[in-house]
Amino acid sequence: MQFRKSYTPILFLALTFTATAAQASQAPIAAPTAGPKSTAQFIDELGRKVTVATEVRRIVSLAPNLTETVYALGLQERLAGDTDYCDYPKEATAKPHVGGPMSPSVEAIVALHPDLVLATTSINRIQTVAALEHVGIPVYVSDPHSVEGLLAGIRKIADITGASTSGKSIVDDLQARLDSLHAALNGSTSSRVLFIVWSSPLISVGQGTFIADALKLAGAESVVKSTKNWPEMSMEEVVRLRPEYLIFARGHDDPDAGNLDVLRTRPVYRDLKPVRDGHVVSVSDSIDRPAPRMIDAIEALAHQLHSAAFVTRQHDSGARAERSASLAGTSGKEGCPCGL
Amino acid sequence: MSGAADSARPGAGSSSGSGSFPPGSGQNPARVLVEQATYAYAATDRDAPEFTLGPISFEGDRREVISILGPNASGKSTMLKLLAGVLKPLSGRVQIDGSDASELDPRVRAQRVALVQQESALLFPLRVWEYVLQGRYPYGRRLRFQSAQDCRMAENALLQVGADDLRDRWMEQLSGGEKQRVILARSLAQEPALLLLDEPTQHLDIGGKVELLRRLRRLADENRFTVIVVTHELNLAAEFSDRIVLLHKGKCMRTGEPTEVYQRDLLEQVFQAPLEVHLSVTGKPRVLVRDPDIAAARPGWTIDPN
Amino acid sequence: MRPLTPRRLLSVCAVLAGILFVTVVLSLRLGAYSISSGDIVMTLINRVIGRTNQIPSEFNLVVFGLRLPRIALGILVGASLSVAGAGFQALLRNPLADPYVLGVSSGAALGAILSLSLAPHSPLAMQGAAFLGAAGTIAAVYFLGRRGGQLDSSTLLLAGIISASFLSAIISFLMTTLAGRDLRGMAFWLMGDLSSAPPADPGRWFGWLFFVFFIAAGAIYTTASDLNLILTGEEEARHLGVHVGRVKLVVYVSASLLTGLAVSVSGSIGYVGLLVPHVIRMIFGSDYRLLIPATAIGGAIAIVFADTLARMVVAPTELPVGAMTALAGAPVFIYLLRRRMR
Repeated sequence: MQFRKSYTPILFLALTFTATAAQASQAPIAAPTAGPKSTAQFIDELGRKVTVATEVRRIVSLAPNLTETVYALGLQERLAGDTDYCDYPKEATAKPHVGGPMSPSVEAIVALHPDLVLATTSINRIQTVAALEHVGIPVYVSDPHSVEGLLAGIRKIADITGASTSGKSIVDDLQARLDSLHAALNGSTSSRVLFIVWSSPLISVGQGTFIADALKLAGAESVVKSTKNWPEMSMEEVVRLRPEYLIFARGHDDPDAGNLDVLRTRPVYRDLKPVRDGHVVSVSDSIDRPAPRMIDAIEALAHQLHSAAFVTRQHDSGARAERSASLAGTSGKEGCPCGL
Repeated sequence: MSGAADSARPGAGSSSGSGSFPPGSGQNPARVLVEQATYAYAATDRDAPEFTLGPISFEGDRREVISILGPNASGKSTMLKLLAGVLKPLSGRVQIDGSDASELDPRVRAQRVALVQQESALLFPLRVWEYVLQGRYPYGRRLRFQSAQDCRMAENALLQVGADDLRDRWMEQLSGGEKQRVILARSLAQEPALLLLDEPTQHLDIGGKVELLRRLRRLADENRFTVIVVTHELNLAAEFSDRIVLLHKGKCMRTGEPTEVYQRDLLEQVFQAPLEVHLSVTGKPRVLVRDPDIAAARPGWTIDPN
Repeated sequence: MRPLTPRRLLSVCAVLAGILFVTVVLSLRLGAYSISSGDIVMTLINRVIGRTNQIPSEFNLVVFGLRLPRIALGILVGASLSVAGAGFQALLRNPLADPYVLGVSSGAALGAILSLSLAPHSPLAMQGAAFLGAAGTIAAVYFLGRRGGQLDSSTLLLAGIISASFLSAIISFLMTTLAGRDLRGMAFWLMGDLSSAPPADPGRWFGWLFFVFFIAAGAIYTTASDLNLILTGEEEARHLGVHVGRVKLVVYVSASLLTGLAVSVSGSIGYVGLLVPHVIRMIFGSDYRLLIPATAIGGAIAIVFADTLARMVVAPTELPVGAMTALAGAPVFIYLLRRRMR
């Protein structure tokens, strides 16, 4: 048939090409190795089983919060590279960059010869992780949903990188602070709060986020019951929910966030009860970066919301209060967690 | 029955030195045979037909120019579609060189019948020779490159319509008359036995009309094919046609030579206009519009349908 | 009178293949990981002759694990989208038609977004779901686009546009209401992005993709002469013996398949399917027997080049390739438009 006759050469071409392609990529891609190493296995927060060298000498971090964690664990010498967004501590900006957290260059990562790459579901894409897997580079993916999860994650990263002792001490310290915070707040009723990530459109946080969990630990209860991570809401909904406090995270994008005087002039906002009562709190935006500094922000928030509960303890935790106060005044170039 | 197909045209491969086409293969007496053909249109299958055509019978031979005449909505286009094999007659038959037009494989049919249409707007720029070469599609495999033979035929076709100087021009640059000649050339490149035209003189001025019909006459003579033209140009049809088929509301009123068909009573009935018929110096009938006052003085005429 | 000859076809394809080769070499050479041309050549040679243990494993990794798959994907996607675009322009009798006008990419996007929310950690599932979405849309638009049992160009166009809008509306709805997952990946997908890694067995994966490509593109190629005729008028084509209904069906299914293929693996890269056929037409004419292979190679060149730019412009951050084609596409489109006006 005429159709078949003209089709034969094309079919032939197709088969040859397929055969060549299949043959060309037969051998598996091996990870860069400099001689045989002893390896260990771990399971990351996504349940992925990953094989890594027991001696992790070079780390690449793909998110600002993970970079902070690395520094907190005292591993900064081993940090071979991070992203353009990693701004805390200041020294992190001097490290070699591999691009942005959402679209880093896999080649640049490879060029740094990392033994381990740290990624997080909050800001990285699964495609990046898959690409790294494909070239045989071990990736630890963090998936923080709660403060407890955050602490466990820090422990795990510390164990994998051989910094177990500093990991344990950091986490123990953080846990102790959280425990005493819990004790101090025992008896105070949770404040009903609305955490505002972004003002226009109005975006808050869902129940499954670590921010919601952080709020709980600070003695606050988010009035938003949505299961969506970053729910958008109308002002009507805000009025209906009747929060006692409005909480803003201070960031570079929105310097006036939480500024009571500005809010008092803004339409609709100025009529809300929290604004009229002056119940507007702004916290450092380390509250939405899952790293050790998050605890500082939680404490600062707790102090602002339940100052009464801390008055009696003022004398024996003066240093701590000072630290909270100074932290409440920090703001840095920290990225917005919602990758929209 | 129609299995003979492409190889059954002896002489199709050769071409003489002049611009004429080689003779066709038909052994049958009539090139075109329409016998009691009928057709009907209905809104749906179950409704009563809104329009019926036929039964119509006529024959066409080589070198003949046949005009299908009639007022609007008389079924002329439907008749043309039956001849083109696009529609299948409900009863009766429409045959080309002995095979039913609608039964032929489209490619084979395209080698026998060429339908010259008004051109539609072209999407992408196309050269005249490319356009005419497309007429060679029915010959050879589907996906193929044109042969020297194809180029020769296309060249011939352009010569025959007097458009070979337009060869390298872009189609969109042509004037109305030039475009029509090129479209005709494409149909000629098909080497058809039957050439069908649907109201080809519509947009032409009187000079263009005469030129076209003269050309058709000449092509029919030189290439020995049959030309069937659907038109309502009474006088030109009379001048240039060998045979007339007169349709009225789907019925075939009369077929025959122009002098037979052009009877005043008949024409007035069909065209619903005051007319009078004279003979020209060439012996062909001429139809003129009559002075209505004289018509009022002659009441009560009738016609007799065939 | 110079009709298309096999020789001209081959020489045009050879020239374009040469340009593609240069583009591939460029793309192989450039990247955040610095590796010299000599090393690249040695790596390639060693791989081909089987001495894989001679290659430093990192070179092997960068060249064969990162750059080559990306280039291969770029060639596949570029060729698929261009051929599909050329096919749709003929099928719909509309020079503004691109591969996405019939809603295939919207269906794929819907599949992708559902997969992202139900199985967020599996890029492969995303590809499969996207392809299923595309296939479903192809079938639906086919049934909507029929008229009297055959595909009618204007009905098909309307059916496709309506489906695309409808699906986009559903996608917007889902993106706002889907619980839990952040649909960050969708932004990249909608822009078009070649960074998706092949699965563990890239040979078979690529083998399959190219196989489907050749089958579909080949099917369209067999209708090339028919398309030339159909473009001068459907009725006329029918009278010349073209099986118009059958041709339309073949082109519709094949072009949609090519689009679905490209979109599943790389998201909706824009402008390529629209512009590359026009550029090739401007240079080489509108004969589809030449246009189809030329536009396939042309599309491959365009995407590999755009992807190389996307990787290098703000290195080490990688732009999605769709951003690059959009940036370059708009001026090219304006230029073509002005030329047509003259």
